[in-house]
Amino acid sequence: MLPAQGPITAFAFLNPLQALESIPFDEGLAKGYRLFGCQPYLSEERYRSEFGRGRIEAVDIIAELKQELGARGDEVIAGLSTRFELRQAMLLYPLRFGPTEELQWFIAETDALRHIRDEAPTAIRKLFLDETQHWAMRDLRNGHHRVDDPAHSAQQALLQNLFGDLPSRFGAAQIEAWNARTWEAFSLQSLWRVSRHGAHHPVDHDHPHPVARRHRDWLLKATGQDSDALVHEVMIRFCSAYADQGFADWALPNRELGFYQSFLRLFAAQGRSPGDWARPLIGEAQRLLQAQTEPLDCLLAELDELGVSAEEQPDFVAASLLALRGWAGLIWQMEVRGDRVPLPANPGAIVEFLAVRLLMERLAMRYLAETRLDLHVPLAELRSALQKRLAPAQGASVTQRAFLVFQLAQVLGWSVPRLFALSRTEWDQLIAEIEAFTGLERRKIFQRGFEHHYRQRALDAFSVQATQLASRVEKPRFQSVYCIDTREESFRRHLEEVAPQIETFGAAGFFSVAIYYRGAADAHYSTLCPIVVRPQHWVTDEVVLSFEEQHQQRARTRKALGTASHEVHRRSRTIAGGAVLTAGLGVLASVPLVARVLFPRLTARFRKLLRKFVEPPPVSRLHLERAEDPPGPEIEHVGFNPSERANIAERLLRDIGLTSNFARIVFFFGHGSSCLNNPHKACYDCGACTGGAGGPNARAVAAFLNETGVRSELQRRGINIPAETYFLGGLHNTGDDTLTYFDLDLLPGSHRADFAFASKSLNDACERNAHERCRRFQSAPLNITRAGAFKHVEERTEDLAQTRPEFGNCTNAMGFVGRRSRIRGMYLDRRCFLHSYDPTTDDLAATILGRILGAVVPVCSGINLLYYFSYVDSPGWGSGTKLPHNVTSLLGVMDGPASDLRSGLPWQGVEIHEPMRLLLVIESRPEAMRAIMSRSVVVSQILKNGWMQLALLDPDSNALLQYVNDEFVPYHPETKALPQAPTSIEWYRGWRDHLPFAQIQPAAREGVPS
Amino acid sequence: MSMLDWWMQVLGIIIVVGPFLLLVGLGIPPLLSVKLSERAVSRSVQFVTSVGLLAGLGLLGLMLSTGKRHVPIVLAHWVDIPDYHMLLKIEFDRLSVPFVILTFLLCGTISAFSAKYMHREGGFNRFHMLYALFLTGMIVTSVSGTIETLFAGWEMVGLSSALLVAFYQERPAPMRNGLHVWVVYRVSDAALLLASIWLHHLRGHGNFDAFLGATPWPDGKTILSSWDALFVGVLLLAAAIGKSALVPTSGWLPRAMEGPTPSSAVFYGALSVHLGAFLLLRVSPLLDQSLLLSVLVVVVGLTTAIFAALFTRVQTDIKCALSFASLTQVGLIVAEIGLGFRYLALIHILGHGCVRTLQFVRAPTLLLDHRRLEDALGTRLGSQYAPPPEEAADSFRSRFYRWAMERGYLDAFLVERCVRPILAIFVFCDSLERRWTDWLSGTRSRRTEYLQRHTGTADDLP
Repeated sequence: MLPAQGPITAFAFLNPLQALESIPFDEGLAKGYRLFGCQPYLSEERYRSEFGRGRIEAVDIIAELKQELGARGDEVIAGLSTRFELRQAMLLYPLRFGPTEELQWFIAETDALRHIRDEAPTAIRKLFLDETQHWAMRDLRNGHHRVDDPAHSAQQALLQNLFGDLPSRFGAAQIEAWNARTWEAFSLQSLWRVSRHGAHHPVDHDHPHPVARRHRDWLLKATGQDSDALVHEVMIRFCSAYADQGFADWALPNRELGFYQSFLRLFAAQGRSPGDWARPLIGEAQRLLQAQTEPLDCLLAELDELGVSAEEQPDFVAASLLALRGWAGLIWQMEVRGDRVPLPANPGAIVEFLAVRLLMERLAMRYLAETRLDLHVPLAELRSALQKRLAPAQGASVTQRAFLVFQLAQVLGWSVPRLFALSRTEWDQLIAEIEAFTGLERRKIFQRGFEHHYRQRALDAFSVQATQLASRVEKPRFQSVYCIDTREESFRRHLEEVAPQIETFGAAGFFSVAIYYRGAADAHYSTLCPIVVRPQHWVTDEVVLSFEEQHQQRARTRKALGTASHEVHRRSRTIAGGAVLTAGLGVLASVPLVARVLFPRLTARFRKLLRKFVEPPPVSRLHLERAEDPPGPEIEHVGFNPSERANIAERLLRDIGLTSNFARIVFFFGHGSSCLNNPHKACYDCGACTGGAGGPNARAVAAFLNETGVRSELQRRGINIPAETYFLGGLHNTGDDTLTYFDLDLLPGSHRADFAFASKSLNDACERNAHERCRRFQSAPLNITRAGAFKHVEERTEDLAQTRPEFGNCTNAMGFVGRRSRIRGMYLDRRCFLHSYDPTTDDLAATILGRILGAVVPVCSGINLLYYFSYVDSPGWGSGTKLPHNVTSLLGVMDGPASDLRSGLPWQGVEIHEPMRLLLVIESRPEAMRAIMSRSVVVSQILKNGWMQLALLDPDSNALLQYVNDEFVPYHPETKALPQAPTSIEWYRGWRDHLPFAQIQPAAREGVPS
Repeated sequence: MSMLDWWMQVLGIIIVVGPFLLLVGLGIPPLLSVKLSERAVSRSVQFVTSVGLLAGLGLLGLMLSTGKRHVPIVLAHWVDIPDYHMLLKIEFDRLSVPFVILTFLLCGTISAFSAKYMHREGGFNRFHMLYALFLTGMIVTSVSGTIETLFAGWEMVGLSSALLVAFYQERPAPMRNGLHVWVVYRVSDAALLLASIWLHHLRGHGNFDAFLGATPWPDGKTILSSWDALFVGVLLLAAAIGKSALVPTSGWLPRAMEGPTPSSAVFYGALSVHLGAFLLLRVSPLLDQSLLLSVLVVVVGLTTAIFAALFTRVQTDIKCALSFASLTQVGLIVAEIGLGFRYLALIHILGHGCVRTLQFVRAPTLLLDHRRLEDALGTRLGSQYAPPPEEAADSFRSRFYRWAMERGYLDAFLVERCVRPILAIFVFCDSLERRWTDWLSGTRSRRTEYLQRHTGTADDLP
């Protein structure tokens, strides 16, 4: 339940509500909302504005509402409207809510009682006015024709009581001469009266008090003082000292004894307390130390003291942990994923965290209760004592209820006589029904409509595009394999436009090579594989022997420079060192300051030039062949054995369906991103490498495939790689759109020409890709040239002041698993994850697809949902704006000098996103999907519970099946054609916002599959 | 007036008027509900700072070439009666010209930085308007020739600082910390105000060249007696303590890191935090007059330097570490002033301002830097990796660590010894007043206090 974000340098794209994936999406969201207090959907206002600009249309809402209600939608409520009509009206027409006073003001001061709402349809409006007018003339004025019936006369008395004086207000004598405006005002006034009458005896719903689990919530309500503010100040300081990975000059004393012990020893020492409330803390710490209380015992004792019963414990503990969830999550991650941090937490650290937290909470709450409320009760009774003091929660007031009926009556044509005729039970039913459609429920339908709108267009586009059947390019000039990442979609599209005679593939960006990797100039191993995987292998990069001397010498230079720079940094914070540095040389700092801020690109060039002299020499080899078992970080244990290498190679080729028709040269491109001054750099890197750059993985897999041993093994297993095929690894920098190739020195002379052609096309694609990206950057003019765009993206990565070096996977909305040729030429606007898969090579049980989805479904939904949540409530689920962020403990960021650790994506990284659940389109058949879902709990949970949307594309036709409520239902496309453009640029230029789907169809394109 | 003199006057006026015009230009449109574009805002800030920088450099050149060390410009007489006058007067000398150049240089660079950094951020214009207010305040303070002019600039700096700390209005922590800064500033402002009243009381005016001697800075001789110098000096020191976060008010400096990175950089790393030291430099002839005052200044400065140097060692986040590092040097600069090294202190301020600004704007890159350093050195960095001592650390180490982690308990000390007694007095007075008004109205007065507040979202059914 805690955020699964470990160190920020290895960014984990995970669903913040991953723990709730076992329940349906909307229930999970509602539960998450209760637990975390963060918004699950966009605001209703925002949805309405999307509705206003046509991003959501009425048909979308209607379709989703019908789907949601099913048969329940046809029930008639209080004889007035069906449930569907009622809810539809509440969605389509804006409703005004507000505190009672505001509504009273609104009624009194605006024309609410003179003019019918503008949104009311003309026919409804006429019906409403006519019926009301007839009733007024018939019943209100001449009501005495059945004096003998007692029930009737009671009704009549009520009628007179409610409306008796109303006609006279408008001049009862001239009632026959009233004009339309007078009737309108009269009708509205009587409507308001009857609404108030109906809402007057409110239904006795139990409005449960929003569950205030913790004592702190009650205290906050009673005093306005937050005990968490007191506790957190100490907690944050201590947690950051405990978690520190080497920033502070002085380490936390006794850190090695664990969280709990070091805390107690720190506060048991003599000294003042951090504040009045914490005065007893020193004594408590000494007591616990002396008694040698175990952390768990301490925790249980605290729970006992607070009067938390055994059955309440799980929820109470969860709520207490979530109160400072960033830090709690980090400590938990440091404990369970000790392999991801240099200094892990001690086992049981999270329990100790909680024990310490509750200990301090108790002190803070006692202090507040005694000083602010003069309340001296045992803490176990604090909650009930406070509950008695506070006024009970109130439901909606009469005015609030009446005003909803008043508004709805106008758009649904409930005339005054019809409302007046309602019985008490009918009124109750009506009001209960209106209130049952809560804000959360309304926003749920809006969100579904939002997704529906996009889904319809996406599936339409697929059904049009996929009329082209699968085919392979004959004798491709070259082939290249990319990460599944949405950012590579545009790159591949541009490359295919530049060089139609080629093929591209998509795979998870670690290319099935899960490793700990250490570069030639690196001090430590970093992890390059998805967060869910724990690598079993180590790989290092070693400079070739002929450069060894230079390598050593440069390493010494780097070390000398590094030492100097480290000393300067460190000393600048001391008295003497700082004095010498700042008084002596300080003014010189203005040169780099001005240069780097005003001329970032130039300075970067200059710095790169200098760096050339200290970088490790260019020729190096990955150490891939293991000398001794078992795998390990020591040099003899680094690498893979031959069968592991063949297995990885085979798996990758089979996954992407590249088992025949090999080109002479095949590239694998990992990707990473370069940028400056950005603690969140890792979230722009490869998600499949947990925020690392996937270059070494691509390099390794290419090296495997070039091995003759691996090739002959693959041949035995049925994959025939021609002798003239050569594999090359590379890295795509998604920040400045440049490519790096590895091991070019090994490229056979016979392949020079092929490489020259490929690199020319690839460079061209880089420039075009940069150009397409620039349309999203407001600081790049829309009419920017291609060369200008290339420069612009380069500058973005080198600029200290740039908070948006790129947009990462922002705007992701879709995923496609299938053959590229089915959708080649489709403009997907960098919004689609692309994984290659050839259903014709798979077996009946869909083994290959199963293992692809085993990675693709959790990884892509993790990315997608992290974007979803970080967007819908940026300060809540995400990490808010990054401008006040402050790097702490070398592990994460806080807002300003002290705050909870911020997990999730910063606003600058998500601001152009559209929060939608990912729509995964798979080229497969229902039986195969069923088989996979029955095999994998993870996949079936995410899909069945709707954390991801699914559709299947038939491998042999353009038929689509939608997966709804655990059933595959045929999708009926609404269009037969897509807009067409000769090139991508012709389609996207001049536009910043999201673009519709299109077909990129050059008029003359020879030899390309159509 | 020679041609050169005329030019000096013109440049001097450009330096002061530019920021004022900028403030008006950025401040008035929002009042008329006109929204300026990001481009227009950042262009105008950059234009004014570049012009100001050039004017400052030009003036420096002219002063060096003519050998003139003091250029006073009287802008206006505010109050002018016999034996009493208040002047709006500025002066350029060896202290103010370098300060003006530093201010324009750093403000110009940081405004170019924030034009990109703040792009599309809500409050872009508010930030730059406050930035212009800050710039104006800094310039006015630096070039002020009378204590009342200085006070005006001082106030502008204080106001803009506090509002920028509380830039993120929607979160409680920035508001709380902004208030903390504001309160400390107000106390130090009060001390400055008292000092200036006392000066006026003594001499009938607050012209620096009159009571600090006509010889240009730093060779002036004050005409005040030793005791007057001590009294005024102590008040001015109190003002400087608040503004420069010297002991015991140091606690506000890390709290001020709530704003966006560029404002932290230029305010608390580079310029605003040096303002206290600047004030002491400006009135340094007073220090020469009173040995006791000098000793006090040295003590405060050194204590601050030592405390802050120790605090910074336990900080685990980059911004707090830098802010205490910055304070270490400010303390040292103050001590230098007390010891009489005026030029050294000035050079120290200039160098320190540049270094710290660079470090602050690069603060978010810490992780990358750290990684690079570790790679270059081939080892983990940090005492955390040293083998732990044989036995559990003794309680002295824990005690000392806690002292540094809790920042010397300075904030707790201020709350207990200053805030609470004063608050108690106010609460007592308030209760008297309440009784009095209740008695007058014959019923419970101040009814608004008992009204229920609306809480929760208004747009949803309960």
